Amino acid sequence: MSEGKSPLLNFEAHGKVTVGTINQSSVLSAFNVAEFGVEVLRYINEHPKLNLLLNFEQVDYLSSAVLTELLKINRGIESVGGKLRLCAISPVIQEIFDITNLDKVFTIYQDSCQTGIKRFLRALEIEEQEAAWENG
Amino acid sequence: MGVPFFQEEFPSTFDAMAEILDKAVDALRDGCWIPPEQEACTRLCLEEALVNAVRHGNEGNRDRKVCLELEAKEDRCCIRVYDEGAGFLPERVDLPSADQLGGRGICLIRHYMDSVFFNEEKHCLEMTLRRKACCKGDGHHE
Repeated sequence: MSEGKSPLLNFEAHGKVTVGTINQSSVLSAFNVAEFGVEVLRYINEHPKLNLLLNFEQVDYLSSAVLTELLKINRGIESVGGKLRLCAISPVIQEIFDITNLDKVFTIYQDSCQTGIKRFLRALEIEEQEAAWENG
Repeated sequence: MGVPFFQEEFPSTFDAMAEILDKAVDALRDGCWIPPEQEACTRLCLEEALVNAVRHGNEGNRDRKVCLELEAKEDRCCIRVYDEGAGFLPERVDLPSADQLGGRGICLIRHYMDSVFFNEEKHCLEMTLRRKACCKGDGHHE
């Protein structure tokens, strides 16, 4: 199990999925949003092919600076063969993704973190089955 | 000419900005301009405008000042952000495509505020917030 802790977020592995829980809303203020992005990208680079579920349970709202960091994280994880999902997205945060059309870029689970893990694991299973079937 | 019920000037740093942001949201709440469920999106708009002033208007130069002003005009609150930059026309900012990293702040402001424009006369970004029916009756600042 790979784990990691910092004042900004905790990483915890659940089988093939690693949950990155953002510790509190203030993590994503103008002060340390760039630091948040750097930290997640560092973790991604240390763990190639990571299936990362970012947990927004403790986040009240997002600024556009956070959206920029999430786009960088998405690019970073795709470049090393990993996948990003977002979970525990409140209606207020969902609306911010909708307004900026980024709901089409990110795969968003409004569910709780536990349900998000199950959905992500199930999606990975289906993908593996499909790949196995295609490869005969 | 109205008198602002809130007016604060600060150096172009995020530390100074955070304090003013909290005070401004408190003033809007105390003046019954925003219902509790709209506090987060109003804070978001103020943050976007102030970050823009610090980062782009004043290019992060702490010697340059940003000023935030709130003024009541009947059922509207005018929110003005002054910086020492050249200014910009928010209506000319389009929603960026998915592959562009930045530039979404002004689009969020346009969505949540009743209006946003560059006030040529005062040389500032001006946002307007209309008092919601559920907030009527208790404004101390008019």
